[in-house]
Amino acid sequence: MSESSLNTTRRYFLGQCTGVSVGAMALNSMAQQEMIGLPSLPHFAPKAKRVIFLTQSGGPSQLELFDHKPGLMPWAGKELPESVRQGQRLTTMTANQKQLILPGITKFSRCGQSGATISEWLPHLQGVADDLCFIKSMTTDQINHAPAMTQFLTGHQLPGRPSMGAWISYGLGSLNRNLPDYLVLISKMQRPSDQPLYDHYWGSGFLPSRYQGVKLRNSKDPVLYLTDPEGLPRHLRRGMLDGLAELNQMRFEQTQDPEITTRIRQYEMAYRMQASVPELTDLGDEPDHVFEMYGPDSRRAGSYAANCILARRLAERGVRFIQLFHPDWDHHSRLPSWCTARCRDTDQPSAALIKDLKQRGLLDDTLVIWGGEFGRGVAGQGKWDSPEAGRDHHPRCFTMWMAGGGVKPGTTYGATDDFSYNVAENPVHVRDLHATVMHQLGIDHERFTFRSQGLDFKLTGVEPTKVVKDLLT
Amino acid sequence: MVLRMSKYLLLLLCLTASAAAEPVSFSREVLPLLSDNCLSCHGQDAGHRKADLRLDTQEGAREVLKSGDFIERITTDDPKEIMPPPKSHKPKLKAEQIAMLKRWIAEGTAWGKHWSLEKPVKAKTEGHPVDFFVKTRLAREGLTLSPKAAEHTLLRRLSFDLTGLPSSSHSSYDSQVSHLLASPHFGERMAMFWLDAARYSDTDGFQSDATRTNWPWRDYVVESFNVNKPFDQFTLEQFAGDLLPNATPEQKIATCFHRNHMTNGEGGRDKEESRIDYVIDRVNTMGTVWLGLTLGCTQCHTHKFDPISHHDYYALNAFFNSIDEDGAAGTNAKPYMPYQSPHAKRAVEESQKLVEQRKPVEAKAKANAEKPFAAWLEEQKKRIKPDHSAWQVVLGAVESQEGTKLAQTKDGSVTASGPNPKQDDYRLISMIKLPRLTGLKLEVLPQNGALSRGKSGEFILTDIKVQVRRKGSSQIRDILVKSAVADTKVEAKAREYGDVKGTLDDDPRNGWTTKGFPKDQPHTAHYGLAEPLVLESDEELIFELRHRSTNGDANIAKFRLSATDQPGPAVRELGPTPLEKLAKGQIDREKLLAQFLEDYEPYQVAKASLDRANAQLKEVQAAAGKLNVMVLAERKEPRDTHVLVRGVWDKKGDVVQRDVPAAIAPWPQGLAKDRIGLAKWITSKENPLTARVFVNQVWQMLFGAGLVRTPDDFGLQGQRPTHPELLDWLAVDFMESGWDVKHLIKTIVTSETYQHSSDRTDPSDPSNLLLSRGPRFRLPAWMIRDAALASSGLLNSALGGPPVRPHQPEGVWEEIFMGRFTYEPSQGAAQHRRTLYAFWRRSIAPTFLFDSAQRRVCEVAMTRTNTPLQALTLLNDETMMEASQALAKRMLAAKSDERLQLLYRAVLTRQATAKELAVLQRELDRALTHYRAHPEDARKLQATPELAAHTLVASLVLNLDEAITHE
Repeated sequence: MSESSLNTTRRYFLGQCTGVSVGAMALNSMAQQEMIGLPSLPHFAPKAKRVIFLTQSGGPSQLELFDHKPGLMPWAGKELPESVRQGQRLTTMTANQKQLILPGITKFSRCGQSGATISEWLPHLQGVADDLCFIKSMTTDQINHAPAMTQFLTGHQLPGRPSMGAWISYGLGSLNRNLPDYLVLISKMQRPSDQPLYDHYWGSGFLPSRYQGVKLRNSKDPVLYLTDPEGLPRHLRRGMLDGLAELNQMRFEQTQDPEITTRIRQYEMAYRMQASVPELTDLGDEPDHVFEMYGPDSRRAGSYAANCILARRLAERGVRFIQLFHPDWDHHSRLPSWCTARCRDTDQPSAALIKDLKQRGLLDDTLVIWGGEFGRGVAGQGKWDSPEAGRDHHPRCFTMWMAGGGVKPGTTYGATDDFSYNVAENPVHVRDLHATVMHQLGIDHERFTFRSQGLDFKLTGVEPTKVVKDLLT
Repeated sequence: MVLRMSKYLLLLLCLTASAAAEPVSFSREVLPLLSDNCLSCHGQDAGHRKADLRLDTQEGAREVLKSGDFIERITTDDPKEIMPPPKSHKPKLKAEQIAMLKRWIAEGTAWGKHWSLEKPVKAKTEGHPVDFFVKTRLAREGLTLSPKAAEHTLLRRLSFDLTGLPSSSHSSYDSQVSHLLASPHFGERMAMFWLDAARYSDTDGFQSDATRTNWPWRDYVVESFNVNKPFDQFTLEQFAGDLLPNATPEQKIATCFHRNHMTNGEGGRDKEESRIDYVIDRVNTMGTVWLGLTLGCTQCHTHKFDPISHHDYYALNAFFNSIDEDGAAGTNAKPYMPYQSPHAKRAVEESQKLVEQRKPVEAKAKANAEKPFAAWLEEQKKRIKPDHSAWQVVLGAVESQEGTKLAQTKDGSVTASGPNPKQDDYRLISMIKLPRLTGLKLEVLPQNGALSRGKSGEFILTDIKVQVRRKGSSQIRDILVKSAVADTKVEAKAREYGDVKGTLDDDPRNGWTTKGFPKDQPHTAHYGLAEPLVLESDEELIFELRHRSTNGDANIAKFRLSATDQPGPAVRELGPTPLEKLAKGQIDREKLLAQFLEDYEPYQVAKASLDRANAQLKEVQAAAGKLNVMVLAERKEPRDTHVLVRGVWDKKGDVVQRDVPAAIAPWPQGLAKDRIGLAKWITSKENPLTARVFVNQVWQMLFGAGLVRTPDDFGLQGQRPTHPELLDWLAVDFMESGWDVKHLIKTIVTSETYQHSSDRTDPSDPSNLLLSRGPRFRLPAWMIRDAALASSGLLNSALGGPPVRPHQPEGVWEEIFMGRFTYEPSQGAAQHRRTLYAFWRRSIAPTFLFDSAQRRVCEVAMTRTNTPLQALTLLNDETMMEASQALAKRMLAAKSDERLQLLYRAVLTRQATAKELAVLQRELDRALTHYRAHPEDARKLQATPELAAHTLVASLVLNLDEAITHE
C-alpha cells in the first residue's frame, strides 16, 4: 500500500476529523501501531532514538552568548550601515529609534579542542564545548514571539499545525507503555512572563489529539487530574476500575462497539500512569552527586535544572520526545542583570545534562537541541552605551547548538557577517533544522505527510528544504 | 488481517466506483483522480503550472487527451517521462485507475463540474425521504436498517441531540421531538456548535490575552436558534446587521461573529499587519462555515484544486477591508457597541443572594471568636513578660556564592568582608527554634557610614528567597513569601529599584534600595509568609539575599535576620507588634483581635467564603452595566484592497474591487456590493454550497459524522458525500422551507434512519458509511459535564448572562501566564451553570474540555479520541466528584434496596440488569467495608462512610461508557 493511501486509511480508522469509530478489524493493528508508530517508518536506520529539546523562549542573544564579533568595537555607538540592514523590518518597539551599534558586552573564550567561542556568562557550557555542534547561521521569517515560536516548533507561523514532537510521536510511536510519547516540562518562574507558553506549541494540530505533548506540571498533579482525591485509597480505585471494566465489557457484548475495548484499555493506562508518573517525577531517589552536577537550583522542584534531571529520567524510560521550555529570554533592556539571570538558570544544568547522558551511554542515541525562536539585533535598544540597554528581536540570524544523536561533536557550522546581522555562509532555516532532526530519527521529511483539509501536509511545508548533512557524523 | 483489510477496501471501492455498466462519471471518478495526481502542477494556478499544460479545463486538456500523450505519460516505464513524476512523491497510477481513464476517453471525455458546484436538486422519493435514500443505498449492498432502538435509548439520544442534556421524560417520542425543539435548551445546544465555528472566546488570545465582553453575542446566538430565526436571516444579521435599515441593537451585536477572531496586542506588532490578519480570518471563516471551502489556501496563491484564484480571494477580502478598525487589541479594539445585557440582572441577584447567605455566617463566626479571643488575651497577659520580644535573632551558618566573606557575631549581625564581587548572593542557613514561622525581619545595618560595600554606599537587594531543606535530603522546597514592607516607602515602577516588594518576584531589574534615605542609619523590612511554616526538627531554613542588579556594586555590608511566630499585623506592619505593645501595658484591642483571628480557622473559613462571594458580586455588577461589544461598522473612507503577493501583508499587488468567485454562483442582480449583498449571495438559491454545508453540519451533529465526512472541505480534495442525493434533497428542502432549522432537524429525527439501534449487528461497515446502524459515539466533553450536573440534580439551568468559571485544577492559568492571571472558580449556584457559559480563555481552554475546538480559528470538524487523560479527567475532575456526591445523597435519601436502581435511572435512564446490579453491589460493599473501617478516609472526602461509599459507586456509573456515549 502506498504511503499516502496508507495514511489516509489510518486516518480513516482513527476517526480523524469525522469521529468515525475505530473499525473492529483494525483494532489489533492499531494497538500495535500505538506502540510502534507508522509501519512505513523509519524510512532508514535512525541515528537517534529520542530528542531532548531545550527550548529557550524569548530569543536568547547570540551576540552575548556565542557569536563573538570582536571587530565590532570600533562601531560602538555608530549607526548600522544600510548596506547591512537591507531594509530589515523592525518591531514597532524600535522602529522609530536610531539603530546604534552595541557590541556584545561579554568576554568570550575559545573552548576545548574545537575552540568554540562561548561567553563568560556560560562557564559550564564552556566545559562541554567539545560535545556540542553549534549552528551560527540559523534564520527564521518571523520577528514577533508567538508567530516565531509557532514557526520554530510547527513549521508555520499560524497556530493549527502539529508540533515537531507530535509529528514524531505520531510517526514513530512509543517505547514505553506507561508514559506518553511526548512530554513537555516548563520551568517554574516567579516573575510573570511577558510571553505565555501556549499549548499549541506542543499541540497535535490536525493529527489525532493523543499525539499532543503532555505537560508535566510541577504540582501535586504532575499530569492534570492524575491524583485521586484524598480519602480514596489505591485498592478502592482498583476495585472501582474492575467494576467499571466489567460493566463496560457487558456493554461491549451488547453493542460490539470496539471503542469500548479501547476505553477499557485507556482506563487501565490511566491507572498505570497514576503510579508511573509520580515515580518518574519524584527525584528523591537521585543521589546527591547528581544534584551537585546539575547545580543548586536542581534541588528545587520545577526549576529548569530539576527539569533537566527529569529529562534524563524520561530519556532513560524511553520517552520519544522531551521538550523543556525556559521562558523570559526577551532581553529588551538591562542585559547585565536580566540576561545573566537566565544564563545562571540554564548554564550548569544544560551542561550537566550533556555530561550525564554521556556518562550513562545515552548521548549517542539522544539528540539534544538548545535554542530559541530568534536572535537579537546588533543595535542597542534604549540608550546604547548604558548598562540599561537591551536588544530587540532579530530573525535574520541566531545561534543554536545540538549534541549527541549523530551530530558532529565539537563543530561550528555557518557564520554571520561582521555585525551578526545577516547570515554570511551556510544558512540554516528553521525548516532545515526540522528536516535534519527528522533525518536523525530515520525520517525523510519529504515522505512523511498527513492529509488534512484535502492537502498533504508535512512539517517542513512547501518551501525548498534541506537536511544539513555537514552537521552529521 | 490482510483478508479483512482487503474486504474493507473493497467496500470503500464499492462506495466510490459505479457499476461497470454505467458510463464513467467525470465529477465522481475522473475529477478526483486528476485533482489528487495532476492538478497541483497542471491546474489553474499559473504560478506553479508545468509545461504550460492545464488539466482542470476541457480546453486545456483537449489536445493531450486526443493525441494519446496523456495515456502514454501515465503508463510509460521511463522514469523521466512517467506522470506523476517520482519527485512529487505521488505513487504511480494503479491499473484500475488507468483502465477507468481509458474508458472515459473512449466514451468521449465527457466534462463537468465538481459535484458541490453543481446546483443541488430534489430527487423523487417515496416515503420518508431520509429513509428512502438510505434504504435504497443499503439495498444495493444487500443490507437493511437495524431494528429500532429501545425506547429509553431513543429518548436519551434525542434529548442529547436537541438540548445537549439527558432525557428526563418518558412521554412518546413524537411529542418529545416537539417538546425538545421548543425547549430553551435547544438554543444552547446549537449555540455550542456555532460558538466553536465562530471561534468565540472571552479573551483576545496571543500574548496579552486581554478579556473582552462579547458574551451578549453568545446570548444573541442562543436566542436566534430558540426563536428559529431562518438561517438566511441569521446569516444576514451576522454579516451585515449594522447596515440593515432601522437595525436593532441585537442585529448590530450579531456582527460580532466577524469580530470573534483573535486580536494581537503584542508589543512589537505592526497594527496594520494585525488588521490584515483579521480581514483574512473573516474570509477564511466564511469559507469554512458557509461554503465548506478552504479559502485559506488562496491567501498566498491561486487554489491548486478548487476554482478560486488569488484575485478572487482578495476580492472577497475587500468586503471586510473597510471596517472602522485599526488592528489594536485589548480595550482599544474598536468599533464597539455599548450594550447593557438583559441577562445580567439575574446573575447579580444570584450573587447578591449568596453574599446575603454568607454575611451572617461570617458575622457569627466573628462573634463566636470573641470568647476564645478573650481567653487567649488573658493567657497572653499572663504569659507575656515585660521584656517580651516577638522577634528571635536567626543564628546559623553563612555563605556566599561569588566569594564575599561573611561572618556572624553573637548579636546575629552578619558582616561582609574580603572580596567584593560586582554581584553576589548571601545565604544564612539555620535551624529555627520556633514552634512555627510566620515572618522574617531583615535589618540592613550601617558599616562605616554606608549600607553597602559599593562605591555609592547604597545597597540594592534584587531578590530574597526562603527555602527549606531537610537534613540528608537532596531536595529543597521554596517557601512562598506573600508580603513585604520596609521603613523606606517609595513609589517605584515595576522595573526600577526602590520598593521592597520588588525583592519577591525573582526579577533582577527591580528590588529594594534605600537610596535617598540616610545611609548611616539601619533600615528594616518585614517579610510575611503566605502560610505559617512548621519546621520539623531535622529541617533547616535557608534565607538568601540576592544582589544581582544591572550595574552591580551594591552588595549589603552588614545585616541581621530575625524570625517570628506571630501572624497578621506583627509581620505585615512595621514597629512593635501587638503583643510587644501588650507587654508594655498598651492594649491595642483591634490589632490583637486581628492577630488572633488570623489563627482562628473557623473564622478564616467563613471570611474567605464571604470574600469570594463579594468578589463575584462585584464582577457581575460590572457585567450588568454598559459593556463594549465588538461589532462591525464601516469607516467613512473605504480602504483600497490589494492582492497581497504570496499573502504577505505589506507586499501589495493589484488593487481589487469587492466581488465573489463566479465559479460558485453569480452575484444577485440589483444588489449593492456590500456585506448585505455578500450575505444574500451566500444564501441565494443559486449558491450550490451553503445549504449543503449547513445541512451536513447538522447531520454531523446528529450522527457524529457528516454525509460529507470533511465538513470543512467540499472542494476537490474533500471527501465525496456518502449519500449525495440525500444531501441534495435535504439542502433543497431546507432552502424551500425558508431556511427553517427546526424543520430540518425534525425531518431528520423523525426518520427510521435516525431511530434505529446503534448496536453493531453487521461487521461489514465499520465506519458506518452506509448508515446501516444508528450513530454510537462518545459525547462531546461539554455534554458529559452538563449531563453529570443534570442527572445529579445540581444543574443551574439559567439562560444567558456573564460567563462563569467551573472548577478546574489549581494553577493552570498561573502556569501559562507565570502568575499574571489567576483562576477563581465561581461560587454558589453559578458554579453549576451549563458549560456553554464557561469563561473561555483563548490561550488555555477550560481544562475539562478534551477534544474540544480550540477557538483560535474556525473549526467545524469534530475530533473524537479516546485517551488515558480523558479517563483521568472523568475520574477526578471536581465537578464529576461533586455530581457523584450529589447523586450519592439522592441515593441515601431512598430506601436502601432501591438505591442502585435509582442511580442507574438517574444517569442512564434505564433499569440495571441483575448482572449489573451484582457488580455495583459488590463495589458498594467493598467501599462500605473500607470506609466503615476507616472513617478518617471518609472524612477526607467530607462524608460519612455511607456517603463516601455511595459517592464512589456513583462516580463509577458516571464513568461508564454508556453514560458518556450517544447510543
